[in-house]
Amino acid sequence: MKNATIAVMFLLGATFAMGQDDMAKAGKASEAYRAHREQITKPSYGLAKVETLIKKYKLRDKEDGPLPAAEYKKLTTAERFTYHMIFGEVSSQNCDAMPTFVDEEKHIYAYPPGAFQDERAWSDTQLATIKKSKSAFLPLLKATILKGKIGCNLKQAILELDAVELIPTICEVYKQKRYDHDILSMLMILMKEGKFKPFMDSASYKKLYADETSSYQSFLVANRENQDLIISRAMAYYATKKK
Amino acid sequence: MIPWVTIPAGTYQIGATELIDNPRRTVAIAAFEVSKYEVTNQQFYEFVQATGYLTDAERTHNGRVFEPGLKEFRWLSDRTANWHFPNGRTRGGIQGKMNHPVTCISFRDAEAYCKWAGTRLPTLDEWEVAARGGTDGRYFCDFANLREYANVWGGRDHLKADTSDAFLTTAPVGSFKPNPVGLYDIYGNVFEFCGGKLRSDSRATQRHSRGGSWWCSRNSCCFFNSVDVGTVNVRASFSNQGFRVARTITSSS
Repeated sequence: MKNATIAVMFLLGATFAMGQDDMAKAGKASEAYRAHREQITKPSYGLAKVETLIKKYKLRDKEDGPLPAAEYKKLTTAERFTYHMIFGEVSSQNCDAMPTFVDEEKHIYAYPPGAFQDERAWSDTQLATIKKSKSAFLPLLKATILKGKIGCNLKQAILELDAVELIPTICEVYKQKRYDHDILSMLMILMKEGKFKPFMDSASYKKLYADETSSYQSFLVANRENQDLIISRAMAYYATKKK
Repeated sequence: MIPWVTIPAGTYQIGATELIDNPRRTVAIAAFEVSKYEVTNQQFYEFVQATGYLTDAERTHNGRVFEPGLKEFRWLSDRTANWHFPNGRTRGGIQGKMNHPVTCISFRDAEAYCKWAGTRLPTLDEWEVAARGGTDGRYFCDFANLREYANVWGGRDHLKADTSDAFLTTAPVGSFKPNPVGLYDIYGNVFEFCGGKLRSDSRATQRHSRGGSWWCSRNSCCFFNSVDVGTVNVRASFSNQGFRVARTITSSS
């Protein structure tokens, strides 16, 4: 066995000493924003019943596993919607959860966070079920987001369902507070998936999705101009789909 | 025998100004040794032979696997996947790949191996000090040359197989250039479990790993660097997840 002892240099950058207070201040706002980004929205349909079932079968204590089929079958469509929206049956990928960045609240990222931030994700079966249930789930989804919040779970459901029909509602919800910029990310992904040409030709698309360097950490500045531009493009996309 | 690299005691600068969970800071680290390579299938085989250990994926069939054609961050559940068949039985086993890093094992499995081997996982801070190898910044090498050092995904997305190098998934350990202190596959090949928790961790089931993997691409998570920290469930078993070991230096080491 060869033992190599290596001297590792101690490198002290000037930025460390300079920016600690500013960083702490910026950090608090960003941490609060991250906490907001990671919130799920719980639909109200049979919520207590579904949560009781999840607790009864200790599903959150298991690394993987669905509700027993017999129990799932007994749920109404709306209760099934709630079940899928509040629980991911499998573990999520390691790098799925992005690190928390300073000034996160000032950015519109290329992608919103995953559906659940508790190291869980929808199983293959759940994804198939959600897609298959579009016509039944869409009104439930709309009624849920009309309450004013679109949690990370609902954003991913909207993307899975390619719920272009909800774009006007989504835009209205965003405009109420202009705080949750992941809503704008979601609108851009809908346009990207729909290959909406005015968006595909835009500088935003290039920066977020098509540049050599674009990644899941790419972002636009969340200024009013960018916000309005994304909303107007999304509404134009919706108009083409409505025809 | 495990080849080791010794990291001397000292104060080191780690983290990045833009990362709240891993801010730029100075840490004091006691001397420790870290394995030059990621733990291989052969080494894990010896552990299993000696102990009869069954991994989480073997017991609970919770393996998550990859095949080209999946959307970004999408993995398949495969009940046949475990460390013998990291991407499921139909996608081949580890025959002829005993010098590849062991994968499709959980944090708990890695801990069990460490206990048997008389080692431990490096802490999050130790891993970063070792990964940086005396360099400052996000990468220990020029980003333009990163693929000389790391088995990572070269494709724009994962919809089709990456043929930009010889390895669709894992590579034999030590196939690429080492970092400045002689550690191989610090970036890419497999995500490496680390001990310790982040300040923001709120769940008992959260564990962490670092360095990115063969799956990671520039256009997806790009975690193949010295500063980002991944999060995973303590029992999750992915085919891009492995580990390297460390040990505290004592007078008898």
